[in-house]
Amino acid sequence: MIARLVADAARALRWLRRHPRIAVLGLSAAALLIAYHLVTRPGAWFGPQDTTWRRSQINGDLYVGLDPSYPPFAEWTPDGIVGLEADIAREIARRINTTAHIQIMGFDGLYSALYTGGVDLVIAGLKVDPSQSSWVHYTQPYFDAGQILVSPSDAPIEEMRQLDGGTVAVEIASAGDIAAQRWSRRLGDLTVERFMLPDEAMRAVQSGAADAALVDTVSARLYVEGQPDLQLAGKTTAADGYVIALRKKDFRLAEEIDRALAGMIADGTLNAIIERWL
Amino acid sequence: MDLTAPFPSRTLLRGAGFAARILILIGVLKAITPATPIVRLGAPQTVHTEQPAVCVHTRLTDEVEEWKIQRTASMVREMGAATIVEFFPWPYIEDKRGEYNWEHPDRILRHAENQGLTVIARLGLVPHWARPPIDEKVTTFTYLPEEYFEAYADFVRAFAARYRGRVDQIVIWNEPNLSIEWGDRPVDPAAYTRLLRLAYAAAHDGNPAITVLGGALAPTTEPEHSPSGMSDIVFLERMYQAGAAGTFDALAAHTYGFTLPPQDAPDPDVINFRRVELLRAVMERFGDGDTPIVITESGWSDDPRWTRAVRPGQRIAYTLDAFEMVKSWPWAEQLCIWIFRQPLDRQNRRDAYYALVSSDFYPKPIYEAIQAYARGWENPYAP
Repeated sequence: MIARLVADAARALRWLRRHPRIAVLGLSAAALLIAYHLVTRPGAWFGPQDTTWRRSQINGDLYVGLDPSYPPFAEWTPDGIVGLEADIAREIARRINTTAHIQIMGFDGLYSALYTGGVDLVIAGLKVDPSQSSWVHYTQPYFDAGQILVSPSDAPIEEMRQLDGGTVAVEIASAGDIAAQRWSRRLGDLTVERFMLPDEAMRAVQSGAADAALVDTVSARLYVEGQPDLQLAGKTTAADGYVIALRKKDFRLAEEIDRALAGMIADGTLNAIIERWL
Repeated sequence: MDLTAPFPSRTLLRGAGFAARILILIGVLKAITPATPIVRLGAPQTVHTEQPAVCVHTRLTDEVEEWKIQRTASMVREMGAATIVEFFPWPYIEDKRGEYNWEHPDRILRHAENQGLTVIARLGLVPHWARPPIDEKVTTFTYLPEEYFEAYADFVRAFAARYRGRVDQIVIWNEPNLSIEWGDRPVDPAAYTRLLRLAYAAAHDGNPAITVLGGALAPTTEPEHSPSGMSDIVFLERMYQAGAAGTFDALAAHTYGFTLPPQDAPDPDVINFRRVELLRAVMERFGDGDTPIVITESGWSDDPRWTRAVRPGQRIAYTLDAFEMVKSWPWAEQLCIWIFRQPLDRQNRRDAYYALVSSDFYPKPIYEAIQAYARGWENPYAP
């Protein structure tokens, strides 16, 4: 295989030696294309510039769009905007040497504010929306709000498969309920017990009426805190990631925020913020 | 001219070949172009329901694709709702004064009737020609100057006459006790009563058998003279004081539960489902107890990001309890749930979580629960 490739390359070189004008023309065209790419790529001399990044670095500001109607993620209190998302925004801003200026707005106005330049980024429990992907850059998730298994600490359950022959408690009509119904068809013997509220489903686990509860991560974290007899599975059964949205044209800012968020995940800062609020 | 040249000439043959290639290209392009979906009405359907009070507010007026109108109407029928409330904006129909474009209302009614649905028509908004010129005053779509009340009544007459025997219930305006629905002006119960009186006469002129629904008041606890609105209870009192009795055949009411169950006791300072009982008390106090109430908007949201929403299971339980409650009220005729579906969920998060199906017609658990209730099936989401 390799010998054939070497032979083909040698033949091509011999052909080029016989046709030097074509060789020079081809090499010149390739060099021109490379040069064109180098000078017009984003951020290069003739390429598009990230003016948002430049402004944020000169002024030291970062405008953040946030919907403060969802405690503990974001809440408008007499002391200002507080919550998990507000803290993440402030930490990201700090890491790129800026100060977060939080702009509060209704959820439906967030994308419009981002589009019109009213804010530089939006952090408000957004999920990746493929219909916006032509102009929006989404970061990796900063929080997974999906359905998660909650089980007794002395009999932990990590996966739905382990519940074959057992009972799972769910909140009626929730995503966990629908997922559990699917699993009951998939597994040989899974009993699904329904409760009106996620807390009731988790109480059923504590009372021994169910082997595990499949509930949303926010409810699970809020309930399990201070309940040493319960524990959360290591990861969600079905992920539901919350992401930060930025304009694609702000490529440098997006790159820096991606880097800042990755740094927060790597050094445990993000987890510490989540633990503080949930 | 060279008469000895062979026929057909080479030029002619070349031209014919080129024309043939163009024709083949056109044929290929036509073959690969997606065809416009053809919407056929199909056989007339009947709603099978055990709960005639079950009704839903649709939003077909913003729907440009006919198959979506048809799909909505058929899913409403399959859910067991015999009645829909639909919005017919005046400016969409009478963009030029005196010239009516009935194409879209005709389309909606064609599909609703084909699915066996009864339509309650809500008539509102204001065309540009009935509002002050933009260089004189900047106004919103809900700004109707008093000198154009007659023009609105003319539209109501035309609508009632055109759909006589097909649409026999109309709602005059929407939530006039909110400033945003009254042209961003201070609300005015006496002015609304004058509008209602004119519209009532015009509607009956167009269709003597029509039922005119007045009010459609928003549940709010705003005090009188608030810049954003007025309590629905107080507004209705002021309407009666302005002589509203006899200007509507039924009161349209909006009642939302937010985080409270439907059983929560009525209280003028609380917005809950039974607030409608306070409206009823006002009607009885003003001697209008024979006039029924149609709840044209109601429901609970299960938005996980909204502090005024409930959990999905609570939403189902509260909604089904509310239907039972309405059945026990002799003065209430229908409970219409806001909202069946909206064209694009991501453009309006609030309504996305009030909707019974997603924008792509995926039925939510609340849809299945209402369907089971209406059709006498076992509730798939019973505790």
